[in-house]
Amino acid sequence: MHIPDGYLGPATCGFFYALMLPIWTAAAKIVKKTLKAKQVPLLAIGAAFSFVIMMFNVPIPGGSTGHAVGGVLVAILLGPWAACIAITVALVVQALLFGDGGITAIGANCFNMAFVLPLTGYYLYKVLSYNAPLDSNRRVWAAGVAGYIGINVAAFLAGVEFGLQPLLHHTADGQALYSPYGLHIAVPAMAGEHLLIFGWIEAIVTALVIKFLQRQAPELLKEGRG
Amino acid sequence: MSALSFLKGAIFADEYASKKGLLQSLDPRVKTVTFLFFIIQILLTKNLFILLCLYALCLLLTLFSRINVGFFLKRTWIFIPLFSLLIAIPALFNIVTPGEPLITFTIAGLKLSITRQGLFGAALFMMRVTTSVSFAVLLSLTTRHFELLKVLRVFGIPQVFVMTLGICYRYIYLFVEIVENTYLAIKSRVGTTVHYTRGQHIVAWNIASLWNRSYQLNEAVYQAMLSRGYRGEPVLGDDFKIMAKDGLWLSFVITLSAALAYVQYYLLV
Repeated sequence: MHIPDGYLGPATCGFFYALMLPIWTAAAKIVKKTLKAKQVPLLAIGAAFSFVIMMFNVPIPGGSTGHAVGGVLVAILLGPWAACIAITVALVVQALLFGDGGITAIGANCFNMAFVLPLTGYYLYKVLSYNAPLDSNRRVWAAGVAGYIGINVAAFLAGVEFGLQPLLHHTADGQALYSPYGLHIAVPAMAGEHLLIFGWIEAIVTALVIKFLQRQAPELLKEGRG
Repeated sequence: MSALSFLKGAIFADEYASKKGLLQSLDPRVKTVTFLFFIIQILLTKNLFILLCLYALCLLLTLFSRINVGFFLKRTWIFIPLFSLLIAIPALFNIVTPGEPLITFTIAGLKLSITRQGLFGAALFMMRVTTSVSFAVLLSLTTRHFELLKVLRVFGIPQVFVMTLGICYRYIYLFVEIVENTYLAIKSRVGTTVHYTRGQHIVAWNIASLWNRSYQLNEAVYQAMLSRGYRGEPVLGDDFKIMAKDGLWLSFVITLSAALAYVQYYLLV
């Protein structure tokens, strides 16, 4: 889901940078209020954690593997706004040092994966697990459903962003200048692979991690307040 | 965990950034700004010739920076451009991009044409992606990663974010080591491939365990920060120096960009 440079036109890249600027500012203000001084390194450690989650190859039926984004998981563990900053930092490191995800597309990637994904998933998890004890199975299911829905909403938005490019940027004779597929191809392609494969990976990883944490360290599940 | 090993090799190899080459000798701030300028130029141009010129410049800079070109091509072409190539192939045909047919053939009774619009659109898309990725990777290969993260202050990014990036970078390395060692331990005990559901449990257990360890680490990191003088506001040292060479490089980039803009808007219209 990391959009590389060259897929989105300049107007889309500029729009998402402009859209993310107040979101980053709000996230920083909220986190500064809620995070205790001694939890400052937690943001960086959370960012490194979300970076590394994306590198885990998760086995899927048929002998292949896929990878999870872990956005909802990080939001459940750190809180939605702290997750927004942590995932942003992880995406910036990936784009700058690894070339994974474009530098000009950082705004769009952060909107999809550091804002929409963790916030949608986190609040869905809160609703579904409302009043559930820390060790209840409902929390595990809620985390799985939140992971599945969160990544699918983000993937749908990425599909819309790709699909708008031929409409926004083309030559007089119809030649596409950036991502070449319209909404009728880009949205089903992005939504389909996430509904059928990557959404399930995200759901399984999010649910199982919450299940293991319930057994290993349930006190960590109380922390998501950022 | 091949992705982790690849990542470790790609990110933490400061070998090329330490070489005495052209790009390594430039001030990281000037280099980053000019490279971003190139990447924006790549994004804005609508001309294949300009993209080819910029890609050729990128390869020349690779040579002058004493980076093995074979390694650079492998590093830049694997994954994103190859993936983009696969994405671009269907866009060549009239079913996706209608237009003036260049080659027409029939497959299983279905008449297909590669259109001029499809071919140029796909070529432009591929070259744009490849050239952007190449410039981004070249910047990362020729700049010490710590310096590259510190440079972000030039763009007015608050110090707290820059500090978070710096700490995050250090802990990625540590986490990669932890995960690698855990997988090696699992491999040595299991010794064979496991069913995918068991594999999913192993991954989830690893992530949960990593978070548990990360959380415990937080207190130790904070104590270490306090012992080094952290008093609530991050202070980052600034040891960058702009030299005459940087001025020359900047002049070269401005002249080249003006020349390319002239070619694009006056000669190729």
